[in-house]
Amino acid sequence: MAETAIALPPQLIPPPLIEGRQDDGTLNKSLNAYVWQPPQRGWLALFLIGLAGTGVLFSAIAITVARGIGMWGNNIPVGWAFGIINFVWWIGIGHAGTLISAILLLFQQKWRTSINRFAEAMTLFAVMQAGLFPILHTGRPWFAIYWLFPYPSTNSIWPQFKSPLMWDVFAVSTYFITSLLFWYLGLIPDLASLRDSSSSKRARIAYGIFALGWRGSARHWHHYKIAYLLLAGLATPLVLSVHTIVSWDFALSILPGWHTTIFPPYFVAGAVFSGFAMVMTLMIPARRYMKLKHVITARHLESMAKVMLLTGLIVFYGYLMEHFAAWYSGNVYEEHVFFSTRPRGPYAWAYFTQMFCNVVVPQMFWTRWARRNVWTLWIGSVLVNVGMWFERFNIVVTSLHQDFIPSNWAMYYPTWVDFSLLFGTICFFGTLFLVFLKFIPAVATSEVKELNHELHQGGGLSEVEGAHR
Amino acid sequence: MPSLKSFPIAGQRQKLWRGLDEHGAPPAPSRELGAAPPPDDATSRRSVLQLLGASAALASLGGCLKPPDEKILPYTRQPPEVTPGNPLHYATAAVIDGRATGLLVTANEGRPTKIEGNPDHPSSRGAVGPLEQAELLRLYDPQRLGVVQHLGQPSAWRDFLQATAEKARALRDSRGAGLRFLMEPGSSPLVGRLRQRLADTYPQAKFSSWSAIPLQQIHDGAQLAYGAAYEVRLDLSRARVVLSLDSDLLAALPGTLPAMRDWAEKRDPANGRLARLYAVETNLTVTGMNADHRLRLKPTHLHRFGLALLGRLAAQVPALSRYAPLQQRFPLPPESAKFADAVAKDLVAAGRGALVSVGPRQPPVLHAAAHAINAALGSACAAAARPVLHDTNAGPRTLEQLVEEMRGGKVDTLVITAWNPVYGAPADLNFSKALSQVPYSVYRSLYLDETADRATWVIPSLHPLESWGDARAHDGTVTFIQPLISPLYSGASEVETLAAFLGEGDRTAYTQLRAFWESERPDHFALNWEKWLADGFIGGTATPPETPAVRHDQILAAAMQVAPADSSAGIEINIVPDYRVWDGRFGNVSWLQELPDPVTKVTWENAALLAPDTARKLGLRQGDRVDLGLRGPPAHATVVIAPGHAEDTITASLGYGRRGAGEALCRGLGFDTSPLRHTDAPWFSPGLTVTPVGKRARLAQTQEHHSMEGRLIAATTTVEKLKETGEELAESRAPLLTAYPGPAYPGYRWGMAIDLSRCTGCSSCMVACVAENNIPMVGKEQVALSREMHWLRVDRYFIGDDTGNPGVVVQPLMCVHCEYAPCEYVCPVNATVHSDEGLNEMIYNRCVGTRYCSNNCPYKVRRFNFFSYTSDYTNTEKMAFNPDVTVRARGVMEKCTYCVQRIERARIETRLQDRRIRDGEVLTACQQACPSGAIVFGDLNDANAKVRRLHEDERRYDLLHELGTRPRTAYLARVTNPNPELA
Repeated sequence: MAETAIALPPQLIPPPLIEGRQDDGTLNKSLNAYVWQPPQRGWLALFLIGLAGTGVLFSAIAITVARGIGMWGNNIPVGWAFGIINFVWWIGIGHAGTLISAILLLFQQKWRTSINRFAEAMTLFAVMQAGLFPILHTGRPWFAIYWLFPYPSTNSIWPQFKSPLMWDVFAVSTYFITSLLFWYLGLIPDLASLRDSSSSKRARIAYGIFALGWRGSARHWHHYKIAYLLLAGLATPLVLSVHTIVSWDFALSILPGWHTTIFPPYFVAGAVFSGFAMVMTLMIPARRYMKLKHVITARHLESMAKVMLLTGLIVFYGYLMEHFAAWYSGNVYEEHVFFSTRPRGPYAWAYFTQMFCNVVVPQMFWTRWARRNVWTLWIGSVLVNVGMWFERFNIVVTSLHQDFIPSNWAMYYPTWVDFSLLFGTICFFGTLFLVFLKFIPAVATSEVKELNHELHQGGGLSEVEGAHR
Repeated sequence: MPSLKSFPIAGQRQKLWRGLDEHGAPPAPSRELGAAPPPDDATSRRSVLQLLGASAALASLGGCLKPPDEKILPYTRQPPEVTPGNPLHYATAAVIDGRATGLLVTANEGRPTKIEGNPDHPSSRGAVGPLEQAELLRLYDPQRLGVVQHLGQPSAWRDFLQATAEKARALRDSRGAGLRFLMEPGSSPLVGRLRQRLADTYPQAKFSSWSAIPLQQIHDGAQLAYGAAYEVRLDLSRARVVLSLDSDLLAALPGTLPAMRDWAEKRDPANGRLARLYAVETNLTVTGMNADHRLRLKPTHLHRFGLALLGRLAAQVPALSRYAPLQQRFPLPPESAKFADAVAKDLVAAGRGALVSVGPRQPPVLHAAAHAINAALGSACAAAARPVLHDTNAGPRTLEQLVEEMRGGKVDTLVITAWNPVYGAPADLNFSKALSQVPYSVYRSLYLDETADRATWVIPSLHPLESWGDARAHDGTVTFIQPLISPLYSGASEVETLAAFLGEGDRTAYTQLRAFWESERPDHFALNWEKWLADGFIGGTATPPETPAVRHDQILAAAMQVAPADSSAGIEINIVPDYRVWDGRFGNVSWLQELPDPVTKVTWENAALLAPDTARKLGLRQGDRVDLGLRGPPAHATVVIAPGHAEDTITASLGYGRRGAGEALCRGLGFDTSPLRHTDAPWFSPGLTVTPVGKRARLAQTQEHHSMEGRLIAATTTVEKLKETGEELAESRAPLLTAYPGPAYPGYRWGMAIDLSRCTGCSSCMVACVAENNIPMVGKEQVALSREMHWLRVDRYFIGDDTGNPGVVVQPLMCVHCEYAPCEYVCPVNATVHSDEGLNEMIYNRCVGTRYCSNNCPYKVRRFNFFSYTSDYTNTEKMAFNPDVTVRARGVMEKCTYCVQRIERARIETRLQDRRIRDGEVLTACQQACPSGAIVFGDLNDANAKVRRLHEDERRYDLLHELGTRPRTAYLARVTNPNPELA
């Protein structure tokens, strides 16, 4: 056998997907250990900070609902601002989950197994943050919460089906439900495993209820695998559809800077870009403190860095095309937005922040060193998230503040409520995430065990070698 | 309980309006004409109506809350003219500085809700300015003084009468030696009679008038030119070349409305040859924005320019030949000289169509010079007529004499009916201190203001909509002021206050007015009285124009006494009346405070305006705080860079920096200019010191970007290029290329046309829109955040490369009612939809407030209720609401509806008559108020409609036509008529 192995130069051999000699027992123990440990001081401290921030969020929500959108900095012409920026930003972040779970599963990318649970949870929590804003940003949320749904009201008033905001309602709710189901389905074997290994009765009952009577029989596995694959198939189009529809909120308008045909692919790429960045941002510290380095290896981080580089390039292409189309069209309003307002207007600093973070920063991932260094990866991914937030700022605010008729041009300045909502959702997101880490295995234990078996059957060789046999 | 009696005579026209008569006659058939009025009884039909109106308003506003505690009275017998829900219109007038503008006021169930111009009145011709409209809000102002005050303590009218009766006895004995009256400049014939009677009773009493914006220099100028006080009656309908020397005759200020209408006709290319306007001024004014050529001069150079012009005309007009020395005496710098040469030539060529108009701030010699020019050219546009005011001298000099008497202890009793002299008087007079030395002072005021603080007795004024009176219009026409509502608070009119000194304080103004006119015109009085009240004025009472001889020698002598221009480099102060608060008296009116200044677009305050170059020289930026000093304590102002302003001059408007205890709305806004005003120089003076204090302030400007960025937004062209422009604009009105068949509009197809050639930017339409559509005012902070709620805005753009003296074009912009409206398809809840007549409708109660419609509106004419802007309205303020228009809730989008409530009202009326709505039957509020007829609304399906003709005009274009929105509001390009010699 050894003679058939292809001799690869060492630098081309990727790091292993699972480090060390692992078996089911060691994996079970190391991956579920965090759940059974009493809360550590660090976790508690972060949790309390998160709770406090969540308090800030709910205060900001309360004041917005009680007093009105006037508490935000929005005005006429800038009718949308932080609310919609945050919505698009969080939805974009929520994209990595589906992509990792569904598309990479269908493409049989083995490196997804250690990070999919993580990414899916992050998706769910991000979509929850995103879901707050479409309701909150309306003037009368108590009506918006149900008038946007097509229900047969007694006076036969239907929503406007031509409006992209209407489609958003469907896109986002579908995405949330599918993501939730997908995540939960993947959880079932692990919940059963937790049930079986729990030492307290209360935990056994709780996990038992959520495990839905999973016994790990071959029949169970058979059905489970089919359902999981089907759901993955169902979720795959959503990766494209959700952010396409979100991009239509802008692209279907007539506003220069919004009315752009390249928006759907560019938004989807941007979403994946920011989603991976967020997974990376959370995963790098988590794998260290939760001692998961043996299953979330440099290999995983490197793969994610490559995806970020790729999607970053697509996003860059989107930027180039926007500018090209504005120039090529000869449309004065378009030209004004892309060549005056954004690079030279009062918000030029936001434009250059976006360009630096989204275009310049990811280029470092061309080097292996940067792809394998946790510090460059972490700082890079944080910057990408900042850059993606500013991208939405430029699309939403910068386009609106100077449009067709110069007399109505005006500046937008966020208020403390705007910042509280952004900060608050980050804290709320973090809090949910901490709860998730504490109560549910952060890595899909059953899938990693399965992968471990696959790799062992390959003689413990790397997958490059295994693939050539 | 008083009996409910009918309203008097029915209207003579289909739009019903009539005088509200207080004398209680039975219904028409049994009416005894000429019957004496019943004893005055304040509780009458009106008070019942008011109670009913108020209770209806309260009931509707309070929703399902408990009924009001007050006893409410039902209509036991409904007066025949009153149909609940149908408004009535009454003719009355607004008087500002003694000149009346005829008004028609709409009343809904007894509460006045809208002030419009009286189409038959010579001072209005159907139009109305912002100040007159704002009277409505003063009526309902909860901060009005509601009770008589004696030494700061609440008192009663009866106590005042008693005190005054005692005082009067003593005064009669002294033949009125210490009695002085400081009056508002007035033209009221009734007050004239009272003054006569007071003078008879108290021979030593003296009357004087005071206004911060007096016409004194006009009268002095006429005195110089003709040897007697005259006023100038303008008739711009015959104008060909007009030179305005600081004369703001195109701003909707008291007395300018007819001139604006005439001028608009002269600027419509459809009416033949365009007239030409030259403006020479210091700060950019509304008139200057409309001038074909504009020269900006420091204030002290302005009248010298006028005299130099007179010198130039000497060579061309034989009648003026004696003025030739003036040309040498007042040499002009090259730019001014070129301007003066061209103007002189043009004026001579225009002959009878020439007019030189001089503003009231200018010195008498310039007025006299203008008289000389107009007379020599035989101008048909200016006629001299006797002044309509009782006192032709109402300026600071008169006040100075009074103050000297007050200081010298010669004044024992001072009755002040002038508006707030403590605030408005030049600082060097120290009127406030002098007033504290008067033992017995009576001040009549609507508010507890600066003067009220120091007066012994403060009598609350009755609002003009609560009281009877008369006044003369700008041309002398006798005009009546009628109440529409019984007084909301206790108070007295000027007539009643004066009558108190005749021992007749208990005779009401109505009794006095009727008795006066009965004695003046006894023939067929009862019949005439009804007609006068219904019309609002007595026809044919205009003072006739006269042709007095011009005393050229005196004028020349006076002109030669003017020193040649002092070219010292100092900075000058230039004080101007404010477009919104006038001299400050309208300070407590939020409609006006939030109305952007037509030129600077600043709201809620005044500012120190200066030219961009001057700002650069002084190192000042927009929003910097500076101290302005002139021979006294400094005024603390905020800098606004004003393109078009003269160099080395700072302009500040009157009426801000108020300190009155009772005027919370305007207290502390802007800065007071009185430290910069002096008795010898109330308007302008060199020697101003400008000291930056190193602080900055945030201004609430409704428009912050002043360039059109080369886009076709407010199109402007010249007479010569009119044809080419018409062809160029064809692209911007071409039918839309589309594969979809558009919707058909078989019934009415409402549309609007706005003629930029007529629009002067006076902004009267904005106030009309606010009043008609219950638009909330949001306050300075919200305006600074760009959240103003005006459905209609007037955009002002600077054009050309010269930031020092740019061209200006204005453009009213409200919802253009796109046929393919971008707002409609993006609303997720169908809250904005299209009607089958082409209106883009807003369904407030369906709106959830996503604001997507506003984002997608390329005109950004939608307005959002970011807060609940109306929830803090008091019940009194709510009475000003138009019951036909929903008051919008928080979180809801709103915008111009083309006054759909007016369309619906016309529809109801015409359906009953089984006919279509005729052209001109529906006037939108903005159209109705517009003094220059720039806004035309109507049915585009009607081939004869005026709006249809304008839509087919060669100057017509659609705003942002390339977006394919198909707006129903079309614009007509502005046409200017520049002089080729100055090009």
